[in-house]
Amino acid sequence: MVEAAPWADELETRLGRRVTSMQLLPGGASKEAWAVDADGERLLVRRALAGVIHEATLSLEDEFRVIEAAAEAGVKVPRPVAYLGLVGGREAFAMELVEGETIGRRIVRKPPPGLDTQLAEELAKIHAIPPERVPFLRSGDVLERFEHELDSVGEPHPALEYGLWWLREHRPEPLADVVSHGDFRLGNIVVSERGLEYVLDWEFAHLSDPREDVAWPIVRAWRFGADDRRLGGIGEVGPYLERYEELTGRSISEADLDWWEVLGNVKWGTGCLTQSRRHLNGQDRSVEYAVLGRMAAEMEYELIDLIDRA
Amino acid sequence: MPDRPNALELIEAVTEFLSTEVLPAATDHRAKFRTLVALNALGIAWRELTASNNVLLRDEEAATLARRIRAGDVREGDRELLKKHVAAKLRISNPGYLDRYE
Repeated sequence: MVEAAPWADELETRLGRRVTSMQLLPGGASKEAWAVDADGERLLVRRALAGVIHEATLSLEDEFRVIEAAAEAGVKVPRPVAYLGLVGGREAFAMELVEGETIGRRIVRKPPPGLDTQLAEELAKIHAIPPERVPFLRSGDVLERFEHELDSVGEPHPALEYGLWWLREHRPEPLADVVSHGDFRLGNIVVSERGLEYVLDWEFAHLSDPREDVAWPIVRAWRFGADDRRLGGIGEVGPYLERYEELTGRSISEADLDWWEVLGNVKWGTGCLTQSRRHLNGQDRSVEYAVLGRMAAEMEYELIDLIDRA
Repeated sequence: MPDRPNALELIEAVTEFLSTEVLPAATDHRAKFRTLVALNALGIAWRELTASNNVLLRDEEAATLARRIRAGDVREGDRELLKKHVAAKLRISNPGYLDRYE
């Protein structure tokens, strides 16, 4: 066995399969990922690392339950194999190991045709997951959530405050909550030349207004430099919204997304600040987390610019 | 005065090491990406140390403004001021970003 973990035997017992090799994949500060060969099948084992879990993130058990519910609803997800409980003292689950492109910058260079409407199709299926299937998912006022997060940063950000103020002043009529992915964008999907293959990273799943997910890939940071293509750097928003409406009956105009796009910038700007605190407070030391603290200004500028043009 | 190399010159030395030795030797995407992130971090530090006037609002002013806006007291000119404040931060953290708005 190559690079076997001290808990490899425990893993075999939990999986009920013989593990012939396992390899730690690079990356992941709060969770580790292992490529595991088990009885000839290639699995991905996700395992918790740091003891402290984000307020907004699901436990690995709940994340696994969401992936199962998504698979049942026909969403393209890697096949969930098993929630493993504690392995070597940390929560873990196993799913199918998949291959393909996830790097946003590479995808926007040559987006596969049809990716725009495929994004809408997956989102429509996610938003149709019965909430009672995942009763542990939480809802809540989105603006209060970000105010609270911003307060936890302990550094003044008047531009983000301005964004929150503008959002409170212009709040749209809410749509009924749906099961939301919570981080649906390039970077968290696997793409091949055939198009969208898998939706990954379900740890931010929650209940929310569907437009929170619909507008998230539109946020400039998720266009990966291809700024002129509003939908995730890969296309126009029109066909995406049309396909979403065909499948869900929810009519969302491009202008409806403006409020949610400002919200998305507040969300990611605040997210950058809280992630850099994970480095600063010693929870997850990492140069990647560290520099995010200085990237928040990009979202601040974008949200002011969006409000200027609103 | 510290002995040379001073802080800036040390940042420059590490920057050169990362870009001429570490980056070309990085094999997988992730190692390459992390090296670029580290270079970016050094660039921010270098610009912060060399900028003569890099903030528009001092911490205290920013805190007062943030509290006032949170309380719902938004005044004429706030947005213009904030745009300049954020642009000043970007000239340190990512000067090229502002070109995307021209």
